[in-house]
Amino acid sequence: MCEWCMKHGAGGKWYLNAKNYSDQLAKELNLEEYLMEQWMNFEKVFIRKVMGMSSIGLGYKLKMPIIGRVIRWQLERMIHSESKNRKAIRADGHFGQVIPIEDAKTIILNLAAEPIIRNYCLCRWMQRGVKDVCCINFGVLSGIIEKLPRFIPKNVKYRLDREEAVKVLEEQNRKGRVFTVWFQPVPYINAICSCETPQCGGLRLRMDFNLKTVYKAEYVAQVDPDLCQGCKTCVSYCQFGAIKYSPTLKRVLIDQKKCFGCGLCRDHCPHGAIKLVPREEIPALKNEY
Amino acid sequence: MMGKTKIIIDYTKCGNATGGIDPRTCGICLKVCDPAVFLMHPPLNVKEENPYDPQYWQITAVWLSLCTHCMKCVKACPQKAIKVIY
Repeated sequence: MCEWCMKHGAGGKWYLNAKNYSDQLAKELNLEEYLMEQWMNFEKVFIRKVMGMSSIGLGYKLKMPIIGRVIRWQLERMIHSESKNRKAIRADGHFGQVIPIEDAKTIILNLAAEPIIRNYCLCRWMQRGVKDVCCINFGVLSGIIEKLPRFIPKNVKYRLDREEAVKVLEEQNRKGRVFTVWFQPVPYINAICSCETPQCGGLRLRMDFNLKTVYKAEYVAQVDPDLCQGCKTCVSYCQFGAIKYSPTLKRVLIDQKKCFGCGLCRDHCPHGAIKLVPREEIPALKNEY
Repeated sequence: MMGKTKIIIDYTKCGNATGGIDPRTCGICLKVCDPAVFLMHPPLNVKEENPYDPQYWQITAVWLSLCTHCMKCVKACPQKAIKVIY
């Protein structure tokens, strides 16, 4: 299990701990004010200067000798901050983890605090100029997003009951989106996103700059060589470049070190040849989040 | 090693707080760029009538190190507002 399960999982996975979804926790942390400031300013998070620097040209900044390492350390500290002084305007304490659809359904059906809403994806809006209704938010965050017109979908029902939210998950899964569950801020959980690289702020920082904004899932994909027919369907669904087709073996190969454990390859395999196995059962990967 | 890339946007042509077009209705550079180097955002330090519903937007090239100088954005920009320097 990842370090956040140890800290906030109550003996299990952090995102399956009901306490992290409670209105009481949101109240204790005074989160309504915090989340309003964060969401009002969200599209500016990468351009705003924090301690004298913004994310513009981040790749170059991280490569600078010594200074680059200090910047990385500082960014990781902000992303995972549990300090009382964390700043909403730079989304301190906001990070998440990839989850397969069955865990996303468990959250929506049993854990997510009401009201549950769906809204326009912030990342795809700011990085592609596209309004896509796919993010599911819940708890106190829902009431905040409802006050910000640019995130509220037009001409669709956006307040959802649990069954409707599960239908949204299934639709996004069919499209090939990766589910991620988010602390916002840690330890309060209030969002399941349907992510797509590279137009995802969280996965951008993780995949292009190796910052731990998104952790890999508690699972990894494994292919059964006898069941795989070599149709390559899974290859086109993998957003992490973890699957390739081997013409020699006439089947696909999964690079488990690259696998984020989202389960999309399994969900779309027409032959049931791929399964997810717990990450901790694979010795070389058990601490690779 | 590749040098540092600079992407300069002429805000008199693009960005509705500075006399350019509204990128929310254009957004061609956002869509044409494979690595998604550009970001659309409300400008810093611009007074909004309703801060809950910002109406001024501009584009910044944020992820410069991921730019491959393919020049698709330069060619696609209807305002000819983008320059890529490397």
